[in-house]
Amino acid sequence: MKISDQISLAAKNLSRRKGRTALTVIGVVVGTCLIVVMISLGIAQNQANEEMLASWGDLTQIEVYNGGMTANGEQVTLNDESLESIRALEHVTTATPFYQAYNLNGYVAAGRSDRYQITQLYQFVGLAPEAMEPMGFTLLDGTWLDDSTSYGKDTIPVIVCENTGYNFEDTRKSQNSQKRYRWQGMTDANGNPLEPFVDVNKDDMTLTLVAQSDTGAEKTRSWKLEVVGTIASDYAKGWWTDSGIVVRLKDMKMLMKAYGDLIKDHSLTQTTTYDQVYVKVDDVKNVEDVENAIHDIGFTSTWSSTQQRNDMQQQVARSQMILGGLAAMSLFVSALNIMNTMTMAIYERTREIGIMKVLGCELSDIRRMFLMESGFIGFIGGVIGDLIGLLVSFILNNISTILAVFGASGSLDLSGLMNGGYYYGGTSSAISVIPLWLLAAALLFATLIGLLSGIGPAGKAVKISALEAIRHE
Amino acid sequence: MAAIIRTVGLRKVYVTGKERVAALDDVNISIEKGEFCCIVGQSGSGKSTLLNQLAGLEKPTRGKVFIGRHEISAMTEDELARFRQAHLGFIFQSYNLLPSMTAAENVAMPLMFKGIPKAERLARAEKELESMGLKGRAKHLPSEMSGGQQQRVGIARAFVTNPKVIFADEPTGNLDSVTSRQVLFRMLEMTRTSGTTLVMVTHQPELAACADRIVTILDGRVQSDEVQDAAVKEKNRAELLASLEGNTEIGGAAAAAN
Repeated sequence: MKISDQISLAAKNLSRRKGRTALTVIGVVVGTCLIVVMISLGIAQNQANEEMLASWGDLTQIEVYNGGMTANGEQVTLNDESLESIRALEHVTTATPFYQAYNLNGYVAAGRSDRYQITQLYQFVGLAPEAMEPMGFTLLDGTWLDDSTSYGKDTIPVIVCENTGYNFEDTRKSQNSQKRYRWQGMTDANGNPLEPFVDVNKDDMTLTLVAQSDTGAEKTRSWKLEVVGTIASDYAKGWWTDSGIVVRLKDMKMLMKAYGDLIKDHSLTQTTTYDQVYVKVDDVKNVEDVENAIHDIGFTSTWSSTQQRNDMQQQVARSQMILGGLAAMSLFVSALNIMNTMTMAIYERTREIGIMKVLGCELSDIRRMFLMESGFIGFIGGVIGDLIGLLVSFILNNISTILAVFGASGSLDLSGLMNGGYYYGGTSSAISVIPLWLLAAALLFATLIGLLSGIGPAGKAVKISALEAIRHE
Repeated sequence: MAAIIRTVGLRKVYVTGKERVAALDDVNISIEKGEFCCIVGQSGSGKSTLLNQLAGLEKPTRGKVFIGRHEISAMTEDELARFRQAHLGFIFQSYNLLPSMTAAENVAMPLMFKGIPKAERLARAEKELESMGLKGRAKHLPSEMSGGQQQRVGIARAFVTNPKVIFADEPTGNLDSVTSRQVLFRMLEMTRTSGTTLVMVTHQPELAACADRIVTILDGRVQSDEVQDAAVKEKNRAELLASLEGNTEIGGAAAAAN
């Protein structure tokens, strides 16, 4: 028997008892639709969380903090050696110490008689120069820093940020005067924007370290700062990218040592260990592996948005399981429906099946015919369920617009449903997101349910005795 | 001529509760190729059981059934299904047409099981219906036809595959005597033109009188198995045809068949 004949027979038999078929299909529709919508809520929540995490920090970046212990109980420290072993890990694009100059005391000066100054040095950041580009910083102009270029012993090359100039204060003005400061977006009386006091790309800048002794005497040492480039602000990598100053790691170490010389105490400016290392991973999906590998080396104190992501995803998955499970229940009930419908159909058509058998219809054909019927029910239910799921999703996502049409106002936030009140769950722009794979999976699932429910009844049809069936009544 | 159907020590026992009833006992018959064989006997004599055994619809308790060289009593259900597709045709007392299918679709059904494409099988079915005098009825549903017409559809369905043997279980049992004779006449015409062997169970003596061979069953045993004298048979057939004269429907078809 040809497959095409089986399909058309199955379709014909289903359309013969339209009412019953429709009722059975509706069961599948409800189940499929519920599954699609429930899962789509979770997907939307995950997306919202993802968006939020992305705004928090670079998803492919791991921050490693100093200190920890190997499995053998050995202490580990973040130094050049352990940095190399982290860099050698699979999927690690690059790694750099993140070295902030919070121990240094001094200022950056510019303008005539050093009128304009940056009075704190905590915005100074030491990075491995070759790591900056792979880390994903964006160079607005100029060049990257480079370890091999020599600038002379009293010059330090730096990369500035978009708004570094706003850090300069006018030291002639009182600390309490607004005129001492400039900030981004500041305007004069006529509403014209005010530029920073210093144009970091043009004006000469000097870094001066200051050591104050107990007696009040000051010892200082100065370097000329040479700006080689400007990077774009990227809050995902840290707030310092707005107005910081980046120096090469080796220059930072040199400054540390120089400051130690000035204050005659090197304990604070110990430069062989780093407090913090940034690790860049090639892909979000490898972040967890790399983070685990770093833990294995012994650095157990790390931070990546993957951890948060996993927590959130677990929370969403739990809710999805519960809601999806309820939906699956309804699909299970519809499976019972299909079984019932098919069993009824087979009892009704016992005679017909007998005739077919006597006329030479093979058992496998009979089985396939009934499986097709039940599979059809599942498939049709799946298609309609998918479509209604899309409609429900559309309504959920446009609820305020739709309400507005009817002159009402309101909005819907189902994020609580997925987060269980998780305090940092993101709120999504879309309540329900239905990717193509979900539609396909739901359709496949519904069809499979149909087929599986048909197995028992089809077996019954095969077992019908042809002779009994055609025996005249 | 060679025997196309042969039974050897055929025995069928039904077990109902603790009672064992031998429906057939030691049946040894042999039917020649192209023969019209009638199985006659009283109700409960076992004639239908014999037909079911010959057609492989039921397994014998003991003994063997051969059709041609094939021992059908030893075949599996799937082998039997394929064997029926290829070599056997069936005509039932209650027609057994599928109510949801048109006459042509019903006739084409055995061809569908053989995997013959739709256009071809419907063309063959319509030709077969035409030779049964049902030309304009191809698209009618069984419920729109009379009993005689339905049975002629049933006959067309049995012949459409050009089977070697056709089994008919009281094909005229539900029909009045005129229609019965018409239907039998049809079957005879068909077997004559195609050389098909026809095995028919009947309790109407005037129909059995037209057969080449009459097997009489009594209490599950063969009471008599006789080949009719050709002259007697022809006379009976001529009488049957004569009794139908004046019936327009059959007259036209008879002209077409000749």
